[in-house]
Amino acid sequence: MEKKKKIGLICSAGGHYTEMLQLWEAFEGHPKFLLTYREVATMNREGTYYLENIFHGPVAFVKGVVKVFLILLKERPSVLFSTGSEIAAPAFYLGKFLFRMRLIYLECSAQVYQPSLTGRFVYPITDLFLVQWEPLLKRYGPKAKYVGGLI
Amino acid sequence: MIFVTVGNHYQGFNRLIQKMDEIASRSPYDVLIQKGYSTYCPRSVRYFDFVPIQAAMDYIRKSELVISHAGIGTIILCREYGIPLLIFPRRKKYGEHGTDHQVEIAKALEERSDDRISIVHEENQLEDKIREIVESHKKFAPAENTGRKNLIQAIRTFIEKSQ
Repeated sequence: MEKKKKIGLICSAGGHYTEMLQLWEAFEGHPKFLLTYREVATMNREGTYYLENIFHGPVAFVKGVVKVFLILLKERPSVLFSTGSEIAAPAFYLGKFLFRMRLIYLECSAQVYQPSLTGRFVYPITDLFLVQWEPLLKRYGPKAKYVGGLI
Repeated sequence: MIFVTVGNHYQGFNRLIQKMDEIASRSPYDVLIQKGYSTYCPRSVRYFDFVPIQAAMDYIRKSELVISHAGIGTIILCREYGIPLLIFPRRKKYGEHGTDHQVEIAKALEERSDDRISIVHEENQLEDKIREIVESHKKFAPAENTGRKNLIQAIRTFIEKSQ
C-alpha cells in the first residue's frame, strides 16, 4: 500500500484559520500538522506549532523564519497547504527550494477582485493555486483555478 | 441573544461597538460584544476582547442574530449554522482596515441576494435593520456549501496525484 503523504497546514488566525478548519476533511487519512499564530482564538490545539506574528519587527521575522525552517526540517511534509496570509510566504519559499515540497495555496475569500500581497508573492512557486471568486482569475496567470468558494 | 463580533484584525472597529452599545442601551435586546482590538468599552452590554474559536462558534450557534464586520470566518460560520447575519463593513477611511476590500465582499454578497445575509453601509441604518430582522423571526436551514465540497475534492485529488 502507498505510504500516506504528510501534509503541513499553515495559516494565520481569524478567517484564514476558520477556512483551514472548513477544509480539514481534505486531509483526512494523512499525517499532518498545523502551523499558526499564537492568538487567543487559536489556543491549545493538538498537533499544532505556534509562532509569534512574523511582522512584529525584524527580530520576530528572523526568529519566525528560523522556527519555520526547523519545523519543516523535523516534519518533512510532502505537501504544504495554506489559506494565507503572510505566514505562508517563508514556509512556501523554504519548502519549495530547500525541501522540494509541493505547494497548494488557497487565496482567502476576502479577495473578490484584488489579489492579496501573499497570493502574488507565492503564486510563481505554487503548484496548485486556488481562488474563491471567479473575477479574481483574470488578475492571476493561467495557473490559477476557481472551483468554488467557502462563503 | 445578538452577538456582535469584529474578529482578530489588529485595527479596532469602534464605530460598530459604540453604535451597538448605544442601541442596546435603549432596547430590550440581549447583546454580547466581542470587541477585539477596538478601544471603545461598552457601558450597557456584556463584552470581551477575544475567546478561543470554539467558544466563538458556540456564541454564534446560540444567537438569533449575529452582527459583524465583513469577516470571512463569521460569514462562513453563520451560513453553516443557519444564523441570520447583519454585515457592516470596515472602512479604510476610518482606520478600520488597510483597504476597502470589506466593502467589495459586502457588495459581492449583496449581488447574490442571499436572504440570510443583510448588509448596511452606514451606522444610522443599523437600528432599523436589526429591528426588522429580529421581528421577522426568520429561521434558516444551514446553507448547502458546494464550494466547500469542490475545494476539498480539488485539494484531495492534487495530493493523491503529487509525487
